[in-house]
Amino acid sequence: MMSLIELESVSKTFGKHVAVDKLSLSVPKGSVYGFIGPNGSGKTTTLRMIMNILPPDSGKIMVFGEQLKSTSCDRIGYMPEERGLYKRMKVRELLIFMGGLKNAENLKSNVDQWLERLELSDWANKKVETLSKGMSQKVQFIATVVAEPQLIILDEPFTGLDPVNTEVIKDAILDLQSRGTTVVFSTHDMSMAEKMCDFIFMIFKGNKVLDGTLNNIQDKYANDTIRIRSGNGTAVFKDLKGVEKINDYGRLQELRIADDADPHAILREIINRTRIESFDIVKPSLHDIFVRIAGSEAEEVNNE
Amino acid sequence: MNKIIRFTIREYMAAVKTKGFIIGLVIAPVMMSGGFLAFLLLKDRVDTTDKKIAVIDHTGVVVEALIDAAENRNKNEIFDEESGQKVKPAYFIEVIKPTSSDTMQQHLELSDRVRNGELHAFMVIGSDVIHPGEDKLGDDISYYGKNAAMDDVRRWTGWPIYNHLRKLRLADAGIEESQVPELFQWIDVSGLGLVSVDESTGDIEDAREASPIEALVVPIAFMMLMFIMIMFSVPAMLNSVMEEKTQRIAEVMLGSITPFEFMSAKLLSGIAVSLTSSAVYVFGGLFVLTSLSLQGYIPFFVLPWFFVYMILAVMMFGAMSASLGATCSEPKDAQSLSFPMILPALIPMFIYFPIAKEPLSSFSTWMSLIPPFTPMLMTLRMATPDSIPLWQPIVGLLGVILFTIIFVWAGGRIFRVAILMQGTPPKFANIIKWAIRG
Repeated sequence: MMSLIELESVSKTFGKHVAVDKLSLSVPKGSVYGFIGPNGSGKTTTLRMIMNILPPDSGKIMVFGEQLKSTSCDRIGYMPEERGLYKRMKVRELLIFMGGLKNAENLKSNVDQWLERLELSDWANKKVETLSKGMSQKVQFIATVVAEPQLIILDEPFTGLDPVNTEVIKDAILDLQSRGTTVVFSTHDMSMAEKMCDFIFMIFKGNKVLDGTLNNIQDKYANDTIRIRSGNGTAVFKDLKGVEKINDYGRLQELRIADDADPHAILREIINRTRIESFDIVKPSLHDIFVRIAGSEAEEVNNE
Repeated sequence: MNKIIRFTIREYMAAVKTKGFIIGLVIAPVMMSGGFLAFLLLKDRVDTTDKKIAVIDHTGVVVEALIDAAENRNKNEIFDEESGQKVKPAYFIEVIKPTSSDTMQQHLELSDRVRNGELHAFMVIGSDVIHPGEDKLGDDISYYGKNAAMDDVRRWTGWPIYNHLRKLRLADAGIEESQVPELFQWIDVSGLGLVSVDESTGDIEDAREASPIEALVVPIAFMMLMFIMIMFSVPAMLNSVMEEKTQRIAEVMLGSITPFEFMSAKLLSGIAVSLTSSAVYVFGGLFVLTSLSLQGYIPFFVLPWFFVYMILAVMMFGAMSASLGATCSEPKDAQSLSFPMILPALIPMFIYFPIAKEPLSSFSTWMSLIPPFTPMLMTLRMATPDSIPLWQPIVGLLGVILFTIIFVWAGGRIFRVAILMQGTPPKFANIIKWAIRG
């Protein structure tokens, strides 16, 4: 599969802090590529380097099969994590302006179509300052995609959105992918990454720690997790031999099993202690993998 | 280029479509001319309370002239001819005999009467004022009052006393004033420009009468206009960039345009705003002066220089302003940078008067060749009736172009580094480091 983005041994430091360290990755054309990693791990710095906003200290960045240059950005839609809009501009006027900066064609009809699709047509001639936060984020998303870019880069696109708007944006992203657009997005929402991404890339302390499809990543881990629903909380699992860690999700608990432990023996012990509604012996979830790599630092992120 | 133009148009429209811009366009000239208008409107609004002045006349013969002059004035000058209404205060003279004992005590008592409001002021006429000389002690006239320096009564006493002293001196010399009426006739020295040849007809043209409008008002108006234009656009650039940074618009924009394009658009919109405002003022001024048949006072050849210098000044100061705006993470940072940023534009305002008065002096020449001061001071000098050697505005222009290039280059480097930096206060050392290292 042809790569739309190629990073070769890219590094970036700020003073003495190494933000990205000899990072290499390849984003296949037409894929949804998820960037995960705890705060401060180098996700945003990497995305900014791909957007030519920050120059790398060393390494090579290829986009659309050629060395990154300023005109490459015309074919890339970028929605940064910290985003703002000109508050005194009207929504439609702003979107046409933003699309114009990408030298886009068919702007007016594209703007109208997107406004209609995201149910913002009634707000087209209102000033941005009158919009709610959710509406502003939808306008921001339209500004990113209205120029019909071949590649869109979204830094935390779902942050701050309610479930309905999350669904709307998710559908829009998948629709763009179905029309051939390559999507790179960073997220802290592991379940969203699991469901949406063809490829997942994890960066931690500036280094690549995961890269591949979800199955490829999970294949590196054994069936070391018992997902169990007992209805009696975690008390019944107290002092279970061979269990390294218990994740309590209320009605569901995940037990991570030690390498040398027998999951069947552990299950028998649990059955002796309580009545089980359901159980499954599975590979760890992306969330669990993330936590295993990033440790307590990542726990904090996911609890935000 | 297309992106720069699009962004420039957005910035320009965002600036000129505001009520602040339109109000500012009207208010700035009103404020500039406000003092003059207030003077015209209020010049006849004088205090009409009568004023009593005590006079100690050591000659014994001068005070009579003051009494006569005051009576004459009170009769003929203080009432409006048409309405008969009193429009000026009456002056009354109280004669005080000189004391032979303690002069200072007498002066103190009179001072207290002034403090109490019983007297407006008091005056002491020395004993030797009729025939003054170096060896004489009493050859002066002193006026004591609460605000003697600005006192209209003090100014009024000068002429009657001088006129009377003249008569006394002629009488002592045995000459009757009627025999030599032209003896003290004052002939004023008229100020004229230079005689020149009319290029179209070849005729020699007489010089035009020199006018303070031409010598001071027009040059200062040019310089003030440039100052206002700089103030109109440059601080706004700092705030605009800072707002875009703090409201997280900058990174969204940098996804579509380069930092260079971002800053260029800011500068171009600043220039466009300045040109719009200055065009309104310059053409408005030309229209008014032409309507008043005062177009002869307009140095038309300065206009192209004015616009070129103004564009470069806005670019030079604007580049630094935009880059400093990029270093600010909160309004407090911008406030602390505003004054040092506009200081190079303020310094010419402190030194313009001696330069307008003597535009060809070494001080004027050197100050106007310092690039940050050149746009304002060179325009000021060129607008005076003096002929500035052509090499000076040209050298000044080259210096400003060089400085503008350096400022834009350094500003671009600072801007690129700082625009995405959050939480780092704009320290001078950091700004210099970013300008040098990029």
